[in-house]
Amino acid sequence: MKPEEMGGIRLLLVEDSPADVYLVQEAMRREGLHFCLEVADNGETAIQILNRVDADTKEPPPVLLMVDLNVPRKDGSEVVNRLRHSPRCGTIPVIMISSSDSPRDRRRAIDLGVTEYFLKPSGLAEFMSLGKMVRRLVTSFSTAA
Amino acid sequence: MSEIGPLFTGGASPGAAPSQDNLLERLLQAEETIRAIHFGEVDAVVVNGPNGPQVYTLEGADHPYRVLVEQMHEGTVTLDPSGLILYSNPQFASIMGAAATSLTGSQFAQFLLPSDSSIFAELVEGATLRGHNSGELNLLTPDHNLIPVRVSLTLQNVAGMRNISVLVSDLREQIRNAEIVKEERLSRLILEQAGEAIVVIDPEGAIIRRSESARTLGGNSMLTLPFDQVFHLVAADGPLDCSRILESARAGLRLHGWEVSVRRSDGRVWALMVSTNPLWSESRELLGCVVTLTDITERKRAEDALARQAEELTRSNGDLRQFAYSASHDLREPLRQLVVFGELIHEKFSEKLGAEGAELIQHAVDSAHRMETLVKDLLAYMQAADAPQAMRPTVDANEVMAKTLVTFETQIVETGARIEWDPLPVLGVHEVHLVQLLQNLISNALKYRSEARPYIRIRAEPAGPMWKFNVADNGIGISPDYQAQIFGVFQRLHGGGKYSGTGIGLAICQKIVQRYEGRIWVESEPGRGARFQFTLPGGLL
Repeated sequence: MKPEEMGGIRLLLVEDSPADVYLVQEAMRREGLHFCLEVADNGETAIQILNRVDADTKEPPPVLLMVDLNVPRKDGSEVVNRLRHSPRCGTIPVIMISSSDSPRDRRRAIDLGVTEYFLKPSGLAEFMSLGKMVRRLVTSFSTAA
Repeated sequence: MSEIGPLFTGGASPGAAPSQDNLLERLLQAEETIRAIHFGEVDAVVVNGPNGPQVYTLEGADHPYRVLVEQMHEGTVTLDPSGLILYSNPQFASIMGAAATSLTGSQFAQFLLPSDSSIFAELVEGATLRGHNSGELNLLTPDHNLIPVRVSLTLQNVAGMRNISVLVSDLREQIRNAEIVKEERLSRLILEQAGEAIVVIDPEGAIIRRSESARTLGGNSMLTLPFDQVFHLVAADGPLDCSRILESARAGLRLHGWEVSVRRSDGRVWALMVSTNPLWSESRELLGCVVTLTDITERKRAEDALARQAEELTRSNGDLRQFAYSASHDLREPLRQLVVFGELIHEKFSEKLGAEGAELIQHAVDSAHRMETLVKDLLAYMQAADAPQAMRPTVDANEVMAKTLVTFETQIVETGARIEWDPLPVLGVHEVHLVQLLQNLISNALKYRSEARPYIRIRAEPAGPMWKFNVADNGIGISPDYQAQIFGVFQRLHGGGKYSGTGIGLAICQKIVQRYEGRIWVESEPGRGARFQFTLPGGLL
């Protein structure tokens, strides 16, 4: 994928911690990914974005959703459920970003049908591996589409 | 006794021939005797014959009296002054369990024990003096039963013979009656004084008896009233009324320990425990039902309070767990970010920071790391007390041991440690708990090693229903002063330098062992290694 093509590719990140938003951006930078990353700091804003995408065909649909399970107003699971009902982007891959490694939360993510579960690590290198995951999912989805 | 002997001796007595006067006197005597016999004053005569004294009974003129005596309920005997039975009516023989005919001519003393003999002798003496006497004593039957009797003695002075007639009343029935009366009285007293409220209803449901304490529940004038009018019992599944009680009684059923509530006239609601028992006559006729009512209001109140407390405790425990879980989770979040950003600064700005700046950042990152570990361990500690309860777990300690050793592979190679274990039992604990226990103890044994090559030996032996484990090492050991305190949370005996750790491992071990009602302790001396011992319940595979 050429860098100039990347700007037109839209990713949606739902994350309320600016520190983690920075780390996601850093991971993508290090991987050389210059996608258009749209950030919603709560579930409600994310759902509004999805509503807008479904209502206006001129809006480019996102090709990847990264969502923290614990975000204000509407939580990550509601965002994923809304996404799955979207006619324009209902089938895109989803990375559930979470700081919980409790089996219950993992089970919940599986039940929601997310593509990957990314446990926020407490090491820089581990966190940066998120960039590779994003590249893999975007590439495979674009190829399939 | 004046013997009539000479007249009836039959034949001439050897020796002197009787004189004329003597003969006349004997004739008069004989006439008197015949008169006495004629008027029924004599029952029997004793004749001294060649075979000793012989008794002859006579049928008197007053035959009707004789019949009366023969038929009467009491026993009667006539005794001569020596205590010989001249006459016995059939009733006396029947009381004594003997044949009437066999008694005549025998000694009355045969029916007396020595103690009663003296009583009887006194009675006879009194009767002889005053003409009449009476008292109570026991008679001994030929088959050795003692029969309590009342005797009335009357002196009969007939034709110079001072006989005693004895009227014998069998007291056994009277005693039995007295006992029945006593028992009846006891039953009444029991009913009156029983602590529990007892109400007896007849087959129509009317109250026929009640204990005193029933009055506090049902009021004063409950007798003869219908049960349902006095008591309005409500069980969990509806009213417990008379028809229901009697229905079960007819079916031969007892209600046992039914909890009911009853509203008293003052509006207060009492909690009662009700038991019912059908009341049968000897001929299996239903006489009614015995209803026992026990006041359990206080107990109920205490139980309810206890249940409420337990519920509150469970809830507050749950709240506390939830709080601790989220707190530790939320605490870890910023720590994680601290660590990552520390590393990021270090990486991006190491040139600008210089060596000193890099070192300071490193300290900050280390601190954040340590704190993160603390929080993680604290969470593990709380989870040790909070693992699944439902199923009875089992685990083969040998398998756990093998798995645990794999996690120490690197350290074992690095330190050259030798770890040995005897065959271990199957335990009734969750696998995750045994893993945590062994991991913590082996990790400690490796961490607190001495200069010598580490040697760890694990054994288990039965101790009642439990198994006692022994994890022995040749490490630096622990002073007895600190052996109790090492099981506390965040208790560390060493600075962070050589022996790092959060000081929570043994606290987790203790928590786990306590969950299974076991205990853990250590035996050690500085420089002589440590022997950690703990007990856990056995299990079945």
